[in-house]
Amino acid sequence: MARVVILGAGVAGHTAALHAKRMLGKGNEIIVISPNSKYNWIPSNIWVGVGRMSAENVTFPLAPVYKKKGITFHQALAQEIHPEGDVSTGSGYVKVAYTDASRNGEVANIDYDYLVNATGPKLNFAATPGLGPDGHTVSVCTFGHATEAAKSLQEVIAVMKTGKRQAIAIGVGHGTCTCEGAAFEYTFNVEHELRAAGVRDLADITYITNEYELGDFGVGGLVFSQAGFQTTSKLWTESLFRERGIMAILGAHVEKIEPGAVHYELVDGTKGILNFEFAMLLPPFRGVDLKAFDKAGNEISDKLFAPSGFMKVDADYSGKPYEEWLASDWPKTYRNPLYPNIFAVGIAFAPPHQISKPRKSPNGTVIAPSPPRTGMPSGIMGKLAVMSINELIKNGPTATLGTASMADMGAACVASAGSGLRVGSAASMTMYPVVPDYIAYPNTGRSVDDTFGEIGLAGHWIKLALHYMFIYKAKARFGWFLIPE
Amino acid sequence: MAMENPNESIARAPLPTEKTLAQRQNLFIQLTRFCAINLKMIKMIRKGHHPMERRVK
Repeated sequence: MARVVILGAGVAGHTAALHAKRMLGKGNEIIVISPNSKYNWIPSNIWVGVGRMSAENVTFPLAPVYKKKGITFHQALAQEIHPEGDVSTGSGYVKVAYTDASRNGEVANIDYDYLVNATGPKLNFAATPGLGPDGHTVSVCTFGHATEAAKSLQEVIAVMKTGKRQAIAIGVGHGTCTCEGAAFEYTFNVEHELRAAGVRDLADITYITNEYELGDFGVGGLVFSQAGFQTTSKLWTESLFRERGIMAILGAHVEKIEPGAVHYELVDGTKGILNFEFAMLLPPFRGVDLKAFDKAGNEISDKLFAPSGFMKVDADYSGKPYEEWLASDWPKTYRNPLYPNIFAVGIAFAPPHQISKPRKSPNGTVIAPSPPRTGMPSGIMGKLAVMSINELIKNGPTATLGTASMADMGAACVASAGSGLRVGSAASMTMYPVVPDYIAYPNTGRSVDDTFGEIGLAGHWIKLALHYMFIYKAKARFGWFLIPE
Repeated sequence: MAMENPNESIARAPLPTEKTLAQRQNLFIQLTRFCAINLKMIKMIRKGHHPMERRVK
Protein backbone atom coordinates (compact mmCIF):
# COMPACT_ATOMS: atom_id res chain seq x y z
CA MET A 1 0.00 0.00 0.00
CA ALA A 2 1.27 3.48 -0.88
CA ARG A 3 0.53 6.66 1.00
CA VAL A 4 0.05 9.77 -1.14
CA VAL A 5 0.20 13.07 0.71
CA ILE A 6 -1.11 16.20 -0.99
CA LEU A 7 -0.16 19.60 0.40
CA GLY A 8 -2.85 22.17 -0.35
CA ALA A 9 -6.54 22.02 -1.25
CA GLY A 10 -6.85 24.69 -3.92
CA VAL A 11 -7.56 24.00 -7.58
CA ALA A 12 -4.41 21.89 -8.10
CA GLY A 13 -4.39 20.10 -4.73
CA HIS A 14 -8.11 19.40 -4.52
CA THR A 15 -8.18 18.15 -8.13
CA ALA A 16 -5.21 15.91 -7.34
CA ALA A 17 -6.91 14.59 -4.19
CA LEU A 18 -10.19 13.66 -5.90
CA HIS A 19 -8.46 12.01 -8.85
CA ALA A 20 -6.04 10.23 -6.50
CA LYS A 21 -8.92 8.65 -4.64
CA ARG A 22 -10.61 7.70 -7.92
CA MET A 23 -7.47 6.26 -9.52
CA LEU A 24 -5.48 4.93 -6.57
CA GLY A 25 -8.12 4.62 -3.88
CA LYS A 26 -8.26 0.87 -3.46
CA GLY A 27 -5.34 -0.26 -1.33
CA ASN A 28 -3.67 3.14 -1.18
CA GLU A 29 -4.09 5.95 1.30
CA ILE A 30 -4.77 9.55 0.22
CA ILE A 31 -4.06 12.34 2.69
CA VAL A 32 -4.69 16.06 2.18
CA ILE A 33 -2.97 18.64 4.37
CA SER A 34 -4.32 22.19 4.12
CA PRO A 35 -4.38 25.03 6.66
CA ASN A 36 -7.79 26.11 5.37
CA SER A 37 -11.06 24.45 6.37
CA LYS A 38 -12.83 25.63 3.20
CA TYR A 39 -12.43 25.23 -0.53
CA ASN A 40 -12.54 28.60 -2.34
CA TRP A 41 -13.39 28.87 -6.04
CA ILE A 42 -11.08 31.84 -6.40
CA PRO A 43 -12.12 33.07 -9.88
CA SER A 44 -15.50 34.08 -8.44
CA ASN A 45 -13.88 36.12 -5.64
CA ILE A 46 -14.06 39.00 -8.14
CA TRP A 47 -17.86 38.96 -7.77
CA VAL A 48 -17.54 38.79 -3.97
CA GLY A 49 -15.26 41.84 -4.19
CA VAL A 50 -18.07 43.95 -5.67
CA GLY A 51 -20.82 42.52 -3.46
CA ARG A 52 -22.55 40.49 -6.21
CA MET A 53 -21.84 37.21 -4.42
CA SER A 54 -21.26 36.31 -0.78
CA ALA A 55 -18.34 34.32 0.61
CA GLU A 56 -20.75 31.40 1.06
CA ASN A 57 -21.41 31.35 -2.69
CA VAL A 58 -17.73 30.70 -3.49
CA THR A 59 -16.70 28.39 -0.62
CA PHE A 60 -17.69 25.13 1.03
CA PRO A 61 -16.21 23.06 3.89
CA LEU A 62 -13.63 20.54 2.74
CA ALA A 63 -13.98 18.01 5.56
CA PRO A 64 -17.43 16.59 4.55
CA VAL A 65 -16.29 16.12 0.93
CA TYR A 66 -13.14 14.28 1.99
CA LYS A 67 -15.08 12.20 4.51
CA LYS A 68 -17.56 11.19 1.80
CA LYS A 69 -14.73 10.23 -0.58
CA GLY A 70 -12.63 8.42 2.03
CA ILE A 71 -9.76 10.88 1.90
CA THR A 72 -7.96 11.67 5.16
CA PHE A 73 -7.92 15.41 5.84
CA HIS A 74 -5.56 17.19 8.20
CA GLN A 75 -6.37 20.88 8.65
CA ALA A 76 -2.78 21.85 9.22
CA LEU A 77 0.03 23.99 7.88
CA ALA A 78 2.96 22.12 6.36
CA GLN A 79 6.17 23.54 7.83
CA GLU A 80 8.98 21.16 6.85
CA ILE A 81 9.63 18.45 4.31
CA HIS A 82 12.07 15.68 5.24
CA PRO A 83 12.36 13.80 1.93
CA GLU A 84 14.99 11.38 3.27
CA GLY A 85 13.37 10.93 6.68
CA ASP A 86 15.71 11.40 9.63
CA VAL A 87 17.96 9.35 11.91
CA SER A 88 14.96 7.43 13.28
CA THR A 89 13.07 6.74 10.00
CA GLY A 90 13.99 6.18 6.38
CA SER A 91 10.57 7.31 5.18
CA GLY A 92 10.01 10.82 3.87
CA TYR A 93 7.70 12.88 6.03
CA VAL A 94 6.12 16.30 6.38
CA LYS A 95 6.07 18.18 9.67
CA VAL A 96 2.78 19.99 10.15
CA ALA A 97 1.17 22.31 12.69
CA TYR A 98 -2.60 21.94 13.07
CA THR A 99 -4.80 24.98 12.50
CA ASP A 100 -8.23 23.59 13.41
CA ALA A 101 -9.72 24.71 16.71
CA SER A 102 -9.51 21.31 18.40
CA ARG A 103 -5.78 20.75 17.76
CA ASN A 104 -4.55 24.31 17.12
CA GLY A 105 -0.77 24.52 17.33
CA GLU A 106 -0.27 20.77 17.79
CA VAL A 107 2.67 19.49 15.73
CA ALA A 108 2.87 16.12 13.96
CA ASN A 109 5.00 14.26 11.41
CA ILE A 110 3.11 12.65 8.52
CA ASP A 111 4.96 10.01 6.48
CA TYR A 112 4.52 9.72 2.74
CA ASP A 113 5.51 7.48 -0.14
CA TYR A 114 4.58 10.14 -2.71
CA LEU A 115 4.19 13.85 -2.09
CA VAL A 116 2.27 16.34 -4.23
CA ASN A 117 3.15 19.92 -3.35
CA ALA A 118 0.16 22.09 -4.31
CA THR A 119 0.50 24.70 -1.61
CA GLY A 120 -0.26 27.64 -3.89
CA PRO A 121 1.35 30.99 -3.20
CA LYS A 122 2.21 33.07 -0.19
CA LEU A 123 0.50 36.44 -0.72
CA ASN A 124 3.58 38.62 -0.34
CA PHE A 125 2.01 41.92 0.71
CA ALA A 126 5.19 42.66 2.68
CA ALA A 127 7.11 43.19 -0.59
CA THR A 128 5.49 46.62 -0.95
CA PRO A 129 5.21 48.85 2.13
CA GLY A 130 1.59 49.79 2.79
CA LEU A 131 0.14 47.16 0.43
CA GLY A 132 -2.82 45.01 1.41
CA PRO A 133 -5.55 44.73 4.01
CA ASP A 134 -3.06 45.43 6.82
CA GLY A 135 -1.93 48.52 4.92
CA HIS A 136 -3.94 50.96 2.83
CA THR A 137 -5.36 48.89 -0.02
CA VAL A 138 -7.82 46.03 -0.42
CA SER A 139 -7.41 42.67 -2.18
CA VAL A 140 -9.62 39.98 -3.71
CA CYS A 141 -7.14 37.11 -3.31
CA THR A 142 -9.14 35.35 -0.60
CA PHE A 143 -12.89 35.32 0.07
CA GLY A 144 -12.23 37.24 3.30
CA HIS A 145 -10.24 39.92 1.49
CA ALA A 146 -12.90 40.15 -1.21
CA THR A 147 -15.67 40.61 1.38
CA GLU A 148 -13.72 43.53 2.87
CA ALA A 149 -13.11 44.96 -0.62
CA ALA A 150 -16.87 44.98 -1.28
CA LYS A 151 -17.47 46.90 1.96
CA SER A 152 -14.84 49.50 1.05
CA LEU A 153 -16.30 49.85 -2.43
CA GLN A 154 -19.76 50.49 -1.00
CA GLU A 155 -18.28 53.21 1.21
CA VAL A 156 -16.82 55.13 -1.76
CA ILE A 157 -20.06 54.65 -3.69
CA ALA A 158 -21.91 56.19 -0.72
CA VAL A 159 -19.53 59.17 -0.82
CA MET A 160 -20.09 59.57 -4.58
CA LYS A 161 -23.83 59.58 -3.98
CA THR A 162 -23.31 62.79 -2.00
CA GLY A 163 -21.88 64.32 -5.19
CA LYS A 164 -18.19 64.05 -4.27
CA ARG A 165 -15.70 62.85 -6.92
CA GLN A 166 -13.62 59.78 -6.00
CA ALA A 167 -10.41 58.30 -7.44
CA ILE A 168 -10.25 54.54 -7.85
CA ALA A 169 -7.00 52.64 -8.44
CA ILE A 170 -7.07 48.97 -9.45
CA GLY A 171 -4.19 46.80 -10.57
CA VAL A 172 -1.10 45.09 -9.23
CA GLY A 173 1.01 46.23 -6.29
CA HIS A 174 4.53 45.27 -7.37
CA GLY A 175 6.67 45.04 -10.50
CA THR A 176 6.78 41.24 -10.34
CA CYS A 177 3.10 40.50 -9.77
CA THR A 178 1.05 37.98 -11.72
CA CYS A 179 -2.75 37.60 -12.21
CA GLU A 180 -3.12 40.80 -14.24
CA GLY A 181 -6.23 39.18 -15.76
CA ALA A 182 -7.90 39.21 -12.33
CA ALA A 183 -7.06 42.90 -11.82
CA PHE A 184 -8.40 43.64 -15.31
CA GLU A 185 -11.62 41.76 -14.50
CA TYR A 186 -12.06 43.54 -11.19
CA THR A 187 -11.59 46.91 -12.92
CA PHE A 188 -14.53 46.24 -15.22
CA ASN A 189 -16.67 44.85 -12.40
CA VAL A 190 -16.13 48.00 -10.37
CA GLU A 191 -16.92 50.11 -13.43
CA HIS A 192 -20.13 48.09 -13.92
CA GLU A 193 -21.12 48.58 -10.26
CA LEU A 194 -20.56 52.33 -10.46
CA ARG A 195 -22.81 52.51 -13.51
CA ALA A 196 -25.45 50.43 -11.73
CA ALA A 197 -25.26 52.78 -8.74
CA GLY A 198 -25.64 55.82 -11.02
CA VAL A 199 -22.34 57.40 -9.97
CA ARG A 200 -20.01 56.46 -12.85
CA ASP A 201 -19.52 60.10 -13.86
CA LEU A 202 -18.10 60.86 -10.40
CA ALA A 203 -15.36 58.22 -10.54
CA ASP A 204 -11.86 58.45 -12.04
CA ILE A 205 -10.81 54.83 -12.56
CA THR A 206 -7.13 54.09 -13.21
CA TYR A 207 -5.70 50.65 -13.97
CA ILE A 208 -2.09 50.47 -12.76
CA THR A 209 -0.06 47.48 -13.89
CA ASN A 210 3.41 46.06 -14.46
CA GLU A 211 2.38 45.05 -18.00
CA TYR A 212 4.34 47.00 -20.61
CA GLU A 213 1.29 47.08 -22.86
CA LEU A 214 -2.41 46.67 -22.20
CA GLY A 215 -3.53 43.15 -23.04
CA ASP A 216 -0.22 41.56 -22.04
CA PHE A 217 -1.86 39.62 -19.16
CA GLY A 218 1.54 38.23 -18.13
CA VAL A 219 1.64 36.02 -21.23
CA GLY A 220 3.23 38.47 -23.64
CA GLY A 221 -0.11 39.45 -25.18
CA LEU A 222 -2.17 37.52 -27.71
CA VAL A 223 -2.73 37.65 -31.44
CA PHE A 224 -6.07 36.44 -32.73
CA SER A 225 -8.21 36.75 -35.80
CA GLN A 226 -11.27 38.97 -35.81
CA ALA A 227 -13.45 40.01 -38.76
CA GLY A 228 -10.92 38.74 -41.25
CA PHE A 229 -7.88 40.39 -39.70
CA GLN A 230 -5.26 39.36 -37.20
CA THR A 231 -5.50 41.72 -34.26
CA THR A 232 -3.74 42.02 -30.93
CA SER A 233 -5.01 41.83 -27.38
CA LYS A 234 -3.38 45.28 -26.96
CA LEU A 235 -5.69 46.96 -29.47
CA TRP A 236 -8.66 44.96 -28.26
CA THR A 237 -8.05 45.90 -24.61
CA GLU A 238 -7.37 49.54 -25.43
CA SER A 239 -10.70 49.65 -27.24
CA LEU A 240 -12.44 48.36 -24.12
CA PHE A 241 -10.65 50.93 -21.94
CA ARG A 242 -11.70 53.71 -24.32
CA GLU A 243 -15.30 52.53 -24.40
CA ARG A 244 -15.51 52.41 -20.59
CA GLY A 245 -13.49 55.58 -19.94
CA ILE A 246 -10.76 53.91 -17.89
CA MET A 247 -7.23 55.33 -17.69
CA ALA A 248 -4.06 53.26 -17.46
CA ILE A 249 -0.56 53.42 -16.02
CA LEU A 250 1.62 50.77 -17.63
CA GLY A 251 5.04 49.29 -16.94
CA ALA A 252 4.75 50.30 -13.30
CA HIS A 253 6.42 48.97 -10.17
CA VAL A 254 4.54 50.09 -7.06
CA GLU A 255 7.20 51.18 -4.55
CA LYS A 256 5.05 51.97 -1.56
CA ILE A 257 1.56 52.96 -0.58
CA GLU A 258 0.68 55.73 1.80
CA PRO A 259 -2.89 56.58 2.84
CA GLY A 260 -4.53 57.70 -0.39
CA ALA A 261 -1.34 57.60 -2.51
CA VAL A 262 0.32 54.92 -4.64
CA HIS A 263 3.99 55.70 -5.27
CA TYR A 264 5.27 54.06 -8.42
CA GLU A 265 8.22 53.87 -10.79
CA LEU A 266 7.87 53.27 -14.52
CA VAL A 267 10.06 51.21 -16.84
CA ASP A 268 11.63 54.45 -18.13
CA GLY A 269 12.72 55.34 -14.59
CA THR A 270 10.26 58.17 -14.03
CA LYS A 271 8.35 58.21 -10.77
CA GLY A 272 4.82 59.26 -10.00
CA ILE A 273 2.02 59.27 -7.46
CA LEU A 274 -1.50 58.00 -8.07
CA ASN A 275 -3.97 59.36 -5.54
CA PHE A 276 -6.93 57.24 -4.55
CA GLU A 277 -9.93 56.95 -2.30
CA PHE A 278 -10.31 53.23 -3.09
CA ALA A 279 -7.48 50.95 -4.22
CA MET A 280 -7.51 47.23 -4.97
CA LEU A 281 -3.97 46.13 -5.76
CA LEU A 282 -2.99 42.47 -6.00
CA PRO A 283 0.16 41.37 -4.16
CA PRO A 284 3.15 39.58 -5.67
CA PHE A 285 3.37 35.85 -4.97
CA ARG A 286 6.20 33.80 -3.54
CA GLY A 287 6.46 30.23 -2.32
CA VAL A 288 4.95 29.41 1.06
CA ASP A 289 7.22 29.22 4.10
CA LEU A 290 8.16 25.58 3.72
CA LYS A 291 11.65 24.34 4.58
CA ALA A 292 13.40 21.10 3.62
CA PHE A 293 15.93 19.03 5.58
CA ASP A 294 18.11 16.04 4.74
CA LYS A 295 18.44 12.87 6.78
CA ALA A 296 21.08 14.42 9.05
CA GLY A 297 18.86 17.43 9.74
CA ASN A 298 20.78 19.88 7.56
CA GLU A 299 18.62 22.41 5.74
CA ILE A 300 18.39 21.73 1.98
CA SER A 301 15.70 24.28 1.11
CA ASP A 302 17.95 25.85 -1.53
CA LYS A 303 18.18 22.47 -3.31
CA LEU A 304 14.45 21.80 -3.29
CA PHE A 305 13.20 25.33 -3.86
CA ALA A 306 14.07 28.22 -6.20
CA PRO A 307 14.97 31.60 -4.60
CA SER A 308 11.31 32.59 -5.13
CA GLY A 309 10.31 29.84 -2.69
CA PHE A 310 8.58 27.76 -5.39
CA MET A 311 9.60 24.11 -5.77
CA LYS A 312 12.03 23.09 -8.50
CA VAL A 313 10.75 20.56 -11.02
CA ASP A 314 11.87 19.33 -14.45
CA ALA A 315 12.30 22.82 -15.95
CA ASP A 316 15.35 24.61 -17.36
CA TYR A 317 16.52 26.90 -14.55
CA SER A 318 19.77 27.95 -16.27
CA GLY A 319 18.67 31.61 -16.27
CA LYS A 320 19.18 32.10 -20.00
CA PRO A 321 18.37 35.51 -21.54
CA TYR A 322 14.95 36.34 -23.01
CA GLU A 323 16.19 35.97 -26.59
CA GLU A 324 17.08 32.31 -25.93
CA TRP A 325 13.85 31.26 -24.19
CA LEU A 326 12.19 28.17 -25.61
CA ALA A 327 8.89 26.43 -25.04
CA SER A 328 10.93 23.37 -24.04
CA ASP A 329 12.27 25.26 -20.98
CA TRP A 330 8.91 24.59 -19.29
CA PRO A 331 8.36 21.51 -17.12
CA LYS A 332 6.59 18.48 -18.55
CA THR A 333 6.12 16.10 -15.61
CA TYR A 334 6.38 18.51 -12.60
CA ARG A 335 8.59 15.96 -10.87
CA ASN A 336 11.34 17.13 -8.54
CA PRO A 337 14.72 16.20 -10.06
CA LEU A 338 16.32 15.42 -6.68
CA TYR A 339 13.49 13.42 -5.12
CA PRO A 340 11.48 11.62 -7.81
CA ASN A 341 8.61 10.81 -5.43
CA ILE A 342 7.85 14.53 -5.04
CA PHE A 343 5.76 16.53 -7.53
CA ALA A 344 4.96 20.27 -7.46
CA VAL A 345 1.88 21.52 -9.30
CA GLY A 346 -0.17 24.68 -9.77
CA ILE A 347 1.39 27.86 -8.47
CA ALA A 348 3.73 25.81 -6.24
CA PHE A 349 6.13 24.81 -9.03
CA ALA A 350 8.96 27.18 -9.92
CA PRO A 351 8.58 28.46 -13.48
CA PRO A 352 11.83 28.59 -15.48
CA HIS A 353 11.30 32.26 -16.33
CA GLN A 354 8.55 34.73 -17.20
CA ILE A 355 6.44 34.50 -20.36
CA SER A 356 6.25 38.27 -20.96
CA LYS A 357 9.48 40.04 -21.81
CA PRO A 358 11.09 41.12 -18.52
CA ARG A 359 12.24 44.74 -18.28
CA LYS A 360 14.39 46.75 -15.92
CA SER A 361 14.18 50.49 -15.26
CA PRO A 362 17.34 52.65 -15.52
CA ASN A 363 17.33 52.56 -11.69
CA GLY A 364 17.67 48.75 -11.81
CA THR A 365 14.09 47.99 -10.76
CA VAL A 366 12.80 44.75 -12.27
CA ILE A 367 9.39 45.20 -13.87
CA ALA A 368 8.41 41.80 -15.15
CA PRO A 369 4.97 40.18 -14.92
CA SER A 370 5.28 36.68 -13.48
CA PRO A 371 3.71 33.86 -15.47
CA PRO A 372 0.10 32.99 -14.59
CA ARG A 373 -0.43 29.30 -13.79
CA THR A 374 -3.83 29.17 -12.15
CA GLY A 375 -7.17 27.66 -13.11
CA MET A 376 -7.23 25.12 -15.89
CA PRO A 377 -3.43 24.55 -16.09
CA SER A 378 -3.34 24.00 -12.30
CA GLY A 379 -6.09 21.40 -12.47
CA ILE A 380 -4.42 19.55 -15.35
CA MET A 381 -1.09 19.50 -13.48
CA GLY A 382 -2.79 18.13 -10.35
CA LYS A 383 -4.39 15.33 -12.35
CA LEU A 384 -1.15 14.62 -14.19
CA ALA A 385 0.82 14.23 -10.93
CA VAL A 386 -1.69 11.62 -9.74
CA MET A 387 -1.59 9.77 -13.07
CA SER A 388 2.21 9.69 -12.81
CA ILE A 389 2.06 8.36 -9.24
CA ASN A 390 -0.38 5.70 -10.44
CA GLU A 391 2.15 4.65 -13.10
CA LEU A 392 4.99 4.62 -10.56
CA ILE A 393 2.99 2.48 -8.12
CA LYS A 394 2.04 0.01 -10.87
CA ASN A 395 5.31 -0.14 -12.82
CA GLY A 396 8.00 0.99 -10.40
CA PRO A 397 10.67 3.68 -10.80
CA THR A 398 11.18 2.99 -14.52
CA ALA A 399 7.54 3.81 -15.33
CA THR A 400 6.82 6.07 -18.27
CA LEU A 401 5.19 9.31 -17.17
CA GLY A 402 2.71 11.55 -18.98
CA THR A 403 3.41 15.18 -19.76
CA ALA A 404 1.43 18.40 -19.53
CA SER A 405 3.71 21.30 -20.38
CA MET A 406 2.21 24.79 -20.31
CA ALA A 407 3.72 25.08 -23.78
CA ASP A 408 1.34 22.30 -24.81
CA MET A 409 -1.89 23.26 -23.07
CA GLY A 410 -4.33 26.09 -23.44
CA ALA A 411 -6.16 28.31 -21.00
CA ALA A 412 -9.40 30.23 -20.96
CA CYS A 413 -9.90 33.57 -19.24
CA VAL A 414 -13.35 35.08 -18.92
CA ALA A 415 -13.37 38.53 -17.37
CA SER A 416 -17.00 39.08 -16.55
CA ALA A 417 -18.95 41.97 -15.02
CA GLY A 418 -22.47 41.83 -13.65
CA SER A 419 -24.21 38.78 -12.24
CA GLY A 420 -27.68 38.27 -13.68
CA LEU A 421 -28.55 36.57 -16.95
CA ARG A 422 -29.70 39.73 -18.72
CA VAL A 423 -27.36 42.34 -17.25
CA GLY A 424 -23.65 41.91 -17.69
CA SER A 425 -20.86 41.62 -20.15
CA ALA A 426 -17.58 39.79 -20.43
CA ALA A 427 -14.32 39.69 -22.29
CA SER A 428 -13.76 36.02 -23.14
CA MET A 429 -10.28 34.93 -24.17
CA THR A 430 -8.64 31.62 -24.87
CA MET A 431 -5.06 30.93 -25.78
CA TYR A 432 -3.26 27.86 -27.01
CA PRO A 433 -0.64 27.23 -25.86
CA VAL A 434 -0.20 29.31 -22.69
CA VAL A 435 3.56 29.51 -23.25
CA PRO A 436 4.25 30.64 -26.82
CA ASP A 437 6.01 28.08 -29.00
CA TYR A 438 7.69 29.91 -31.88
CA ILE A 439 8.91 26.62 -33.39
CA ALA A 440 5.42 25.12 -33.67
CA TYR A 441 3.74 28.47 -34.43
CA PRO A 442 6.44 30.65 -36.04
CA ASN A 443 4.46 33.87 -36.55
CA THR A 444 2.64 34.49 -33.30
CA GLY A 445 3.86 31.71 -30.99
CA ARG A 446 0.30 30.44 -30.63
CA SER A 447 -2.37 28.76 -32.71
CA VAL A 448 -4.46 31.59 -34.17
CA ASP A 449 -7.38 29.13 -34.57
CA ASP A 450 -7.40 28.35 -30.84
CA THR A 451 -6.57 31.83 -29.56
CA PHE A 452 -9.42 34.29 -29.59
CA GLY A 453 -11.09 37.15 -27.78
CA GLU A 454 -14.69 38.29 -27.80
CA ILE A 455 -16.77 40.78 -25.82
CA GLY A 456 -20.44 40.25 -25.03
CA LEU A 457 -23.13 38.87 -22.76
CA ALA A 458 -22.33 35.30 -23.92
CA GLY A 459 -19.01 35.36 -22.07
CA HIS A 460 -20.85 36.40 -18.93
CA TRP A 461 -23.09 33.34 -19.22
CA ILE A 462 -20.01 31.17 -19.70
CA LYS A 463 -18.41 32.57 -16.54
CA LEU A 464 -21.61 31.92 -14.58
CA ALA A 465 -21.79 28.37 -15.98
CA LEU A 466 -18.15 27.75 -15.07
CA HIS A 467 -18.79 28.99 -11.53
CA TYR A 468 -21.58 26.48 -10.90
CA MET A 469 -19.90 23.67 -12.88
CA PHE A 470 -16.55 23.85 -11.08
CA ILE A 471 -18.11 24.12 -7.62
CA TYR A 472 -20.23 21.04 -8.51
CA LYS A 473 -17.04 19.26 -9.60
CA ALA A 474 -15.10 20.34 -6.49
CA LYS A 475 -17.91 18.99 -4.28
CA ALA A 476 -17.30 15.62 -5.99
CA ARG A 477 -20.94 15.25 -6.91
CA PHE A 478 -22.24 12.59 -9.31
CA GLY A 479 -20.13 12.41 -12.48
CA TRP A 480 -17.70 15.11 -11.29
CA PHE A 481 -14.76 13.53 -13.12
CA LEU A 482 -16.52 13.96 -16.47
CA ILE A 483 -16.09 17.73 -16.15
CA PRO A 484 -12.67 18.60 -17.58
CA GLU A 485 -10.16 20.57 -15.58
CA MET B 1 13.65 56.53 -23.42
CA ALA B 2 10.35 57.91 -22.09
CA MET B 3 7.33 55.64 -22.38
CA GLU B 4 4.38 56.66 -24.49
CA ASN B 5 1.46 57.86 -22.42
CA PRO B 6 -0.88 54.83 -22.60
CA ASN B 7 -3.90 57.09 -22.38
CA GLU B 8 -2.99 58.65 -25.74
CA SER B 9 -2.90 55.17 -27.23
CA ILE B 10 -6.24 54.32 -25.58
CA ALA B 11 -7.76 57.51 -27.04
CA ARG B 12 -6.78 56.31 -30.56
CA ALA B 13 -8.18 52.77 -30.10
CA PRO B 14 -11.23 51.75 -32.14
CA LEU B 15 -14.49 52.64 -30.46
CA PRO B 16 -17.36 50.17 -30.93
CA THR B 17 -20.36 51.53 -32.76
CA GLU B 18 -23.84 51.60 -31.27
CA LYS B 19 -24.68 48.61 -33.46
CA THR B 20 -21.75 46.60 -32.08
CA LEU B 21 -22.66 47.49 -28.51
CA ALA B 22 -26.27 46.43 -29.15
CA GLN B 23 -25.12 43.15 -30.69
CA ARG B 24 -23.05 42.43 -27.58
CA GLN B 25 -26.25 42.53 -25.51
CA ASN B 26 -28.70 41.02 -28.03
CA LEU B 27 -30.03 37.78 -26.52
CA PHE B 28 -30.45 35.93 -29.82
CA ILE B 29 -26.99 36.88 -31.14
CA GLN B 30 -25.38 36.17 -27.80
CA LEU B 31 -27.05 32.77 -27.59
CA THR B 32 -25.39 31.80 -30.87
CA ARG B 33 -22.10 33.29 -29.65
CA PHE B 34 -22.48 31.32 -26.40
CA CYS B 35 -22.64 28.10 -28.41
CA ALA B 36 -19.78 29.15 -30.69
CA ILE B 37 -17.47 30.21 -27.84
CA ASN B 38 -18.22 27.00 -25.93
CA LEU B 39 -17.36 24.90 -28.98
CA LYS B 40 -14.09 26.83 -29.41
CA MET B 41 -13.26 26.35 -25.73
CA ILE B 42 -14.06 22.62 -25.85
CA LYS B 43 -11.75 22.25 -28.87
CA MET B 44 -8.97 24.13 -27.07
CA ILE B 45 -9.51 22.17 -23.83
CA ARG B 46 -9.38 18.84 -25.70
CA LYS B 47 -6.04 19.85 -27.20
CA GLY B 48 -4.63 20.46 -23.72
CA HIS B 49 -6.08 17.36 -22.01
CA HIS B 50 -3.76 14.63 -23.14
CA PRO B 51 -1.52 14.06 -20.13
CA MET B 52 -0.82 10.39 -20.82
CA GLU B 53 -0.51 10.62 -24.59
CA ARG B 54 2.93 12.23 -24.62
CA ARG B 55 5.21 10.32 -22.35
CA VAL B 56 8.72 10.64 -21.03
CA LYS B 57 10.92 8.11 -19.28
